[in-house]
Amino acid sequence: MLLVVFGGAAVYKLMPGEERPARKFTDLELAAADAAHTGTCYSLGTVLIANGAGANSVATWSRPNEDDDDRWTLLLENVHHGPNGPQHVFQKFTFQRVGEQVRLVDVDATERISTDLAANIDGLLEGPHDMRSTPVDRCQASGATGYRFTARN
Amino acid sequence: MKNLLIVCTLLAACLAATGCAREVSRVQVTEFIDAADAAARKRFAPEICELRGKDFTLDLTFHDHEGDQPAHLQINRKLYCQQAGSFSRLRQYRLERKSLEIDLAPDRKSAKVTAQYVETKPFYEPYRTPSTPDDFMDFQIVESRDESVVGIEDGELRFLSTRAEAHQSLVGKNHIQLPYD
Repeated sequence: MLLVVFGGAAVYKLMPGEERPARKFTDLELAAADAAHTGTCYSLGTVLIANGAGANSVATWSRPNEDDDDRWTLLLENVHHGPNGPQHVFQKFTFQRVGEQVRLVDVDATERISTDLAANIDGLLEGPHDMRSTPVDRCQASGATGYRFTARN
Repeated sequence: MKNLLIVCTLLAACLAATGCAREVSRVQVTEFIDAADAAARKRFAPEICELRGKDFTLDLTFHDHEGDQPAHLQINRKLYCQQAGSFSRLRQYRLERKSLEIDLAPDRKSAKVTAQYVETKPFYEPYRTPSTPDDFMDFQIVESRDESVVGIEDGELRFLSTRAEAHQSLVGKNHIQLPYD
């Protein structure tokens, strides 16, 4: 167990420095993929943590346009040991800041993984819903509303 | 004038030394491959990872034991290192190198290394999480032919890329004695 823990930590340290979005981006509320871009009540950072992004797979952030800090792409990769041997699987999410929200604007993925925006938002929200993660400030009051959000009593 | 001569001589000596350090020799490459094999046998991810260059890629063609269409996998260093981390969970593992050929590039800045390996390790059923490391029925024997490019990066020898073709076969767990380590 110690070998795994320290091995993992050492591997992490061996990785060259990588860019990632600032907290002011990941703290923004994730919008649903409906026409009204209804707020989901969870910040992007909370959604990613609740889904174990980066813990269960290799996560790489990049900016499609180096001068644009309001648009980020998150690549999640892993190797699955399927019936024919090892397979590279990935999902690539592109998020765009719009006002005080962040929207999922594009999804690319390995064959057989959905790239539908609404389906991906629903999938991403399962994590924070199941874990009853902490919602953004505006949703902490009773009666607050959000996409598929049930306010705490 | 005398000082300038000394400075020039020192500069030339430094450049010559640096130039030598940037060339690879057959002995260096052999030692490097031995060290890489030892790191793999230890299944210690940091060492395995450290021996790969920053732009390292693995291009693997894998023929499974059922003889289906081979799986092709191309991954970068980051994903390779993550996989190396999961490698440490294996408690029974054997790596045997069957051959080694080293071709130095004409400029001696890199070498093509061709090696054949036989790996023996537990075979865990796909899409099933084993309850313990011993929760498997068969050992898998993976015979592979690796073609790697080895070169100098930041003053150290590193794998720059590996292209491998691997063939898997299964042998009943009770037919092989493989110690736990």
